[in-house]
Amino acid sequence: MHIQLQGISKRFNSLLANDKVDLDIFSGEVLALLGENGAGKSTLMKILYGFYQADEGCILIDDRLVVIDSPYAAMALGIGMVFQQFSLIDNLTVAENLMLASTKTPKWQWSDRTHWVNTHSCLSQLAPTIQPTNRVHDLTVSEKQLVELVKVLDADARVIILDEPSSVLTPLETQRFWTLIRQLADQGHAVVLITHKLEDVLACADRIAVMRKGRVVEVCLAHNNQKPELERHLSSEDLIHLMVGQTELPVVHPVPPSLAHPRLHIQNLWVGEPAAVSNPGHNAVRGIDLAIASGEIIGIAGVAGNGQQTLADAVTGLLPLTQGTVHLDGAPVHQAGIPYRTRHDIAYIPEQPLQNGVATDLDLVKNLVVKDINRMPFFPRRAKQRAQALQLIQAFNVQPPNPDQPAGNLSGGNLQKLVLARELSGSPSLIVACYPTMGLDISATQFIYEKLFNHAQTGACILWISENLDDLLRYSHRIAVLFQGEIVGIAETRRASRQLVGKWMTSGRQAA
Amino acid sequence: MTHLAKAKFWVQLSLRWRWLLLFLLSLGGVTTTLFLIPEAVIAAPGSAITVVDGLLISALRSTAPLLFVVLGETLTQRVGVINLGVEGQMLVGAMTGFAATVTTGNPWLGLLAGGLSGLTLSTLHLFLCLVCRSSQIASGIAVWILGSGLSAFFGREFVGQQLNHGFSTIHTPALASVPVLGALVTEMTPVIGLSIALSPLLGLWLYRSQTGLTWRAVGESIPAAHAMGINPFHIQCQGILAGGFLSGLGGAALSVDYTLTWAEGMTVGRGLVAVGLVIIARWNPYLALPVALLFGGSEALALRLQAVGAPISPYLLGTLPYLVSIVVLMLNHRQSGQSGGMPDGLRSVFDNTT
Repeated sequence: MHIQLQGISKRFNSLLANDKVDLDIFSGEVLALLGENGAGKSTLMKILYGFYQADEGCILIDDRLVVIDSPYAAMALGIGMVFQQFSLIDNLTVAENLMLASTKTPKWQWSDRTHWVNTHSCLSQLAPTIQPTNRVHDLTVSEKQLVELVKVLDADARVIILDEPSSVLTPLETQRFWTLIRQLADQGHAVVLITHKLEDVLACADRIAVMRKGRVVEVCLAHNNQKPELERHLSSEDLIHLMVGQTELPVVHPVPPSLAHPRLHIQNLWVGEPAAVSNPGHNAVRGIDLAIASGEIIGIAGVAGNGQQTLADAVTGLLPLTQGTVHLDGAPVHQAGIPYRTRHDIAYIPEQPLQNGVATDLDLVKNLVVKDINRMPFFPRRAKQRAQALQLIQAFNVQPPNPDQPAGNLSGGNLQKLVLARELSGSPSLIVACYPTMGLDISATQFIYEKLFNHAQTGACILWISENLDDLLRYSHRIAVLFQGEIVGIAETRRASRQLVGKWMTSGRQAA
Repeated sequence: MTHLAKAKFWVQLSLRWRWLLLFLLSLGGVTTTLFLIPEAVIAAPGSAITVVDGLLISALRSTAPLLFVVLGETLTQRVGVINLGVEGQMLVGAMTGFAATVTTGNPWLGLLAGGLSGLTLSTLHLFLCLVCRSSQIASGIAVWILGSGLSAFFGREFVGQQLNHGFSTIHTPALASVPVLGALVTEMTPVIGLSIALSPLLGLWLYRSQTGLTWRAVGESIPAAHAMGINPFHIQCQGILAGGFLSGLGGAALSVDYTLTWAEGMTVGRGLVAVGLVIIARWNPYLALPVALLFGGSEALALRLQAVGAPISPYLLGTLPYLVSIVVLMLNHRQSGQSGGMPDGLRSVFDNTT
């Protein structure tokens, strides 16, 4: 089977998502579609899956022109897609979800069970832990992904499109998933892997197509491909350059902390239900002492669920403290409410911006200016706010750059950018950032780090919670590790090593 | 060992048919209550009519119209659309059904005409919600007001007429001698039988068939259904139209089979009660019958108490079925929290009503 996409163009209002794209997909091969957020990878594949219609261009399967005007038509042609947001129905069981997707489902459930037996064996092969009678909302993310995959395989898909499959998986699950993808390709399926992670590409791709700004800029063979063809191999640095489109990334250097006396002072901080405090692992915070100097970036490392979220909420005043104090510039923050927080320029980038950081039904302008709500005049000047918002949207490259759309329409990465644009504007004296670069591509990540550094240079203190050890070690001044709600280790970054931090993260103080 | 296996078999069988069992049990429970409670509460000595006599059949008579509407609204809400216009559709169905029966003399044609008129009115809701994407709440209310206005206008000449050739009761001499069932069966009309049979039939269809699964999927998540190659628009159209037909049918059953007259605004909020009962029945057709019987039963009881001469104002007695519905809604709410089996698609309806 050979699929050719020829001259595909797709425009969303003012945004050109795909610009005359040509691409070949072959059976028995893993094609990685590599590119940054908004490069048009997903759009291109959704056109192949019939979710969108191309404005221009055509699709050929085995040199035969085909019209794919709906996902149904795509499935009939043997094209299946696993979306980034799963299209499973939470309130139905696994079996019901699979039956819905299959064209061969019997009209009534008590007749003709042969087909169902096939599906069941497929399910038990790929995911032995999942019972068909389980409700989907009880499954873990990786299990849901497997169910999606079974759904696609069950529809006899010969081309399987996976949209950012590894973004929801833990490292171990990701490795298992890579093996699975290789197996599928070896069975003769064509697999298209949409991703912005180089690890994915290097681990399991045969061929790489790099997309940038709606175009395929390069198609090449991956390292692990043994086919002796005369296409050129590219190193990972080359790939990054192709993706990002710049030959040189701006490099950010850590500046040592300027002062010895702290600007933010956290003393003996306890947060959480009494029961949870005595019982570690309940995302409580237990007895934290921390001082941050002006212009200092403190990285908080730790395995997720060890109290990071609680710490951030407590420092910013969102959670009542059980015990302890938080002082900013000598003034107690912990007793004041949220209005105080906005007045004193505490910037907070929360985890999961969709739930915690934006009002999804309001437009981008309102979402961006809402931070200053206590400082607004009684009749705010809309034109001025709109101009400010536009500036921020451009500076942070929120796509699509339409300030009047509701924030809920943005994709995950752009939503994150929107929150960052709001929180990192102005001159905050304290920035609490939880996973600020989650879902962002390489150049946007660099831009955010640059912003954080600029704020640090102007004297802000920054509490930066992340799971990315490499970035924490590279960019923060000091690194602290949270384990079961306690700081089990803190060290200057230039004296800390990966091994030391890793030891603290996994086994707490005893190992240190 | 064999005993154990047998027990296991029965447990599994009862698990598989638990909805049907629940349905039968609640039906039995409601029936018993209707028979026992009134006798215990009110013994009306010297009265010619006793409270209990024929209470079940009169309960079923007032239940049947409502049951059609509850089932129809269940189907509509299962595909993620809420239709408050059922009240108007019922009225239009009642008026058309009555008019058709009077003119043709055939109550079956009356039922059909009523159903079709309800379906026709529901196309307006369909157009407003699915094509114009207007708020389902606002659209439903518009359909309701329009329906009551239209039925009042076209029904003027039928006001005050009485049907003397409605549905004949099902006569089965063999069954008539059976103590309780006999009295029930002799007064049973085909409409009542149809409504009772429809409840489990729709339940089977919704939970066991491929198309029923498709409808549920659309009601849960339109994007997911679309991604599975289903056309949600078509399914939602079918859901609204089916609901429109059944609510019109319910209206016709009310005028042709129950009251045998037409009066302006004769449904007195039954359509809206049906919307509430759908929630109590947890969007489950199997439970629609016992839940509707609750309303019909309390209405029959209120009428019977009035006939017996209970010292309560007839106006207050008339509110009894509504009071019972409110109490059950409260209990149900407390028991199941916010949503017991609510299709996820309805959530977005309430989110977008601002």
